[in-house]
Amino acid sequence: MQASERTLNEIKAKLPYVEVKKDKLLSVVYVKKELLINTLKAIKEDFGFKLFIDHSVVDTLEAQNRFEAFYILYNVDTKERIVVKTRTEHSLPSAEKLWFAAKWAERECYDMFGINYEGHEHLVRAFMWDTYSYHPLRKDFPLQGYETVELPSLNETVFGDTLSGTMNYRRTHTYVPTLKDLEYTEKNRIKKKAQVVLNWGPLHPGTHGTMWFLFDLEGERIVQADVILGQLHRGVEKLAEHEPYQQFLVYTDRMDYISALCSNQAWTVAVERLLGIEDIVPLKAKYIRTMMSELQRINSHLLWLGTYALDLGALTIFLYAFKEREKIMDIIEGITGARLTISYTRIGGVRMDLPEGALEVIESFIKFFPKELKDWEKILSRNRIWVKRNKDVGVLSKEDIYFYGLTGAVARGSGVFYDIRKLEPYDAYGMVEFDVPLGENGDCYDRYLVRIEEMKQSIRIIEQCVKKLKTMSPNEPFMAESQDPKKLRLTLDGIGIKVPAGEVYSSGENPRGELGFYINSKGGLKPYRVKIRPGSFYNLCVYPHLMENRYVADAVTILASLDPVVGEVDR
Amino acid sequence: MSIVALAIIIAIKVVVILAIILGIGAYLTLVERKVAAHIQRRPGPMVVGWHGLLQPLADGIKLLTKEDILPSSANPILYNLAIIMALVPASLVFAVVPFGPEIHIFGYDIKPILTDVNIGIIMAFAFGSLAVYGVALSGWASNSKYALIGALRKAGIIISYEVVITFAALGPIMLAKSLSTYDIVMAQIHQKVWYIFLQPISFVVFVFALLAETGRVPFDIQEAEAELVTGFTVEYGGMKFGLFPLVEWYVEVLSLSSILTVLYLGGWSPINIPFIGFIDPLFFLGPWSGFIWFIIKVTILFLLVLWLHWTLPRYRIDQITTIAWKVMLPLALFNILITAFIAPLLRG
Repeated sequence: MQASERTLNEIKAKLPYVEVKKDKLLSVVYVKKELLINTLKAIKEDFGFKLFIDHSVVDTLEAQNRFEAFYILYNVDTKERIVVKTRTEHSLPSAEKLWFAAKWAERECYDMFGINYEGHEHLVRAFMWDTYSYHPLRKDFPLQGYETVELPSLNETVFGDTLSGTMNYRRTHTYVPTLKDLEYTEKNRIKKKAQVVLNWGPLHPGTHGTMWFLFDLEGERIVQADVILGQLHRGVEKLAEHEPYQQFLVYTDRMDYISALCSNQAWTVAVERLLGIEDIVPLKAKYIRTMMSELQRINSHLLWLGTYALDLGALTIFLYAFKEREKIMDIIEGITGARLTISYTRIGGVRMDLPEGALEVIESFIKFFPKELKDWEKILSRNRIWVKRNKDVGVLSKEDIYFYGLTGAVARGSGVFYDIRKLEPYDAYGMVEFDVPLGENGDCYDRYLVRIEEMKQSIRIIEQCVKKLKTMSPNEPFMAESQDPKKLRLTLDGIGIKVPAGEVYSSGENPRGELGFYINSKGGLKPYRVKIRPGSFYNLCVYPHLMENRYVADAVTILASLDPVVGEVDR
Repeated sequence: MSIVALAIIIAIKVVVILAIILGIGAYLTLVERKVAAHIQRRPGPMVVGWHGLLQPLADGIKLLTKEDILPSSANPILYNLAIIMALVPASLVFAVVPFGPEIHIFGYDIKPILTDVNIGIIMAFAFGSLAVYGVALSGWASNSKYALIGALRKAGIIISYEVVITFAALGPIMLAKSLSTYDIVMAQIHQKVWYIFLQPISFVVFVFALLAETGRVPFDIQEAEAELVTGFTVEYGGMKFGLFPLVEWYVEVLSLSSILTVLYLGGWSPINIPFIGFIDPLFFLGPWSGFIWFIIKVTILFLLVLWLHWTLPRYRIDQITTIAWKVMLPLALFNILITAFIAPLLRG
């Protein structure tokens, strides 16, 4: 929930120099740049907004104080969210002492907006290579590139190819990094302290995608580690500024491609909240969305379990998990028509009603799946080798969770009750019963147990959804009817949805942590700025810290237990 | 026996043993794939031949016809020497493995063992230790960080477990009062007991060491495909790449299983009831039943290894060496102490 009037007044009383504003969607604290760090510190320490959610910048293109920066913070005890805003011309003080996660967020803003953070320990680009000289998310950066700038392509630089026709990359005005650029970037990231720098990635079976890790090794012990992101960076946030709200849905599929339905749902709910039509979405659509999201959650956790076990050498679990996953894929394909990039939800409902027999298929799946799960637990949970590899590996305390801005199963593994489905129920989550499993020690083993238990809870939710959906008649609507069709027309294609000016931060509980969307709308068909708060990105930021003084073999354990997906990290 | 006859007999033995272990080694890839597949609830290779029976041939042809790649920064001599160093010692272990009882053909008494030296067990372990050179050389010569780490891991394991395996084997040796593999089996037959019944601790330790030396799960950290891609073989291609798993996973498993059969399971002797005698359900095969028993025992051990391989996760390097030095070695030493009291009680 947004911070209450009372909390805001208390903040105002304690810090007289701030301005507070509360509307239906956001509770905002405005502060001058010079006092930003003091304010953040006070809000963190005195008011308990300990969990770092997100930080980014909006380019307003105004002549004075062009950039508007915002920090989203959460108070886990009182379940309140607050946004701290400030304006700047080109530089901001760094909040890295308060939250490590801010360090990564600041690197991203430095990369995308060219904001200079004073006091940042190692200000390097987050996604683009270090020799890249533009700032893509600035409003004056053209989507099609600078036409007047001569940009050589990789083929030209490396091989001297001069291609013509459609193969002429110069036509696209993109700037491709050469090997020299990448080498420079790599050297810039890590200062060698020990014997060997091991390049782990960008293409490596252990990284679950195109992530580039650098391990500084002393024997097998990792002295320091770093991550080079951006291998899969597609500029989704920039694309969002050029797409109508409904059209952007397909990009959410491609962010966390393993849990597309959950991302779809989070985006749709965010837009619905901004439109103020969350209440008129029909119950049937809400239940369908919830059920599908939970199916997708099981699907995603199965992929995690399979690859986790594969990384630790238990090859057989991988195939068991994929066999069950295939069944879910088939169910999802039967209902939505797609397996991976689904785009099933629509603003105001879902794309189509459930086909005949879908509920029966799901019912039979959830009847047999728990038995399978029990089998796998027998192989793994109390296996001495499995326990030895996971216990006391990658331990995260509660304070670490707040400091590194971790969410999702990683936060719950350390015993932090942070589940958006409970704290801020969207769709039908408020109407179904389920428990939130919490870990005790915060090691890899606890995260494993939490995810296994989450699958069982998902089964519970699906059961309730199926029960409810069975009572609904097939004629019930699955798309919302707009009360005032002249003002807002809700259709399946979503063309022409005009969103009023305003801003919203809305998040959904993805299998990989909180997926939040900060939407800044100036009215009209397209959003002005969309900041995606990827769970994987912040969950990954703790990785170099966890890898210190661990063995190479733990690299896969810890990485797999954090479970990042590169599509979401890089966006 | 004339020298010519002796030479001919030895030549035949060499050819037969080499042909059998390398041929079986190749075909064990199919066995492994089928067993793994059925553990994982899938059919496995089904396309080439009936139920994939010709799959090893297809694999062999594929590997042999691949381009021979030498990494530009590799040391060519060591790079190729590593393959020989991996293959030869592993195969040489079979020189001291007795496959069956003495048989009588064409007027000659022939022991089905290449050479019955009186230090057979020590030879076997010596060759086993030499295998580390193949791995270490391949890791060094391919000039890749992954290969180097994998090779060092394997070297670490072999050094730890060579000590353990030797101390574990001391138990049966003390009971048999001989280092000759042939005599150890004969001792078990005379004493009417398989040493597994007298040496359960040392048997378990030996099985652990077997898994570790052959790089099987849960000790397969030298290849650990998730972390090191495939460890020391990462820079090899074609048949050169194919030889490493062939040697490690099949030839070495077979040789160590044979040694284990000799030491603990009474070699070629049929089912044993301790101190009473032997029951041979295969009596109708006459002198050949010994060979069948030997094959059955090795097969069961091999399937056990496969079963473990496709079910368990793997240990971490520090855990493996910790187990070796802090658990297995004391156990083996303790076992020697007990054996010292048991051994005089046995009738030799």
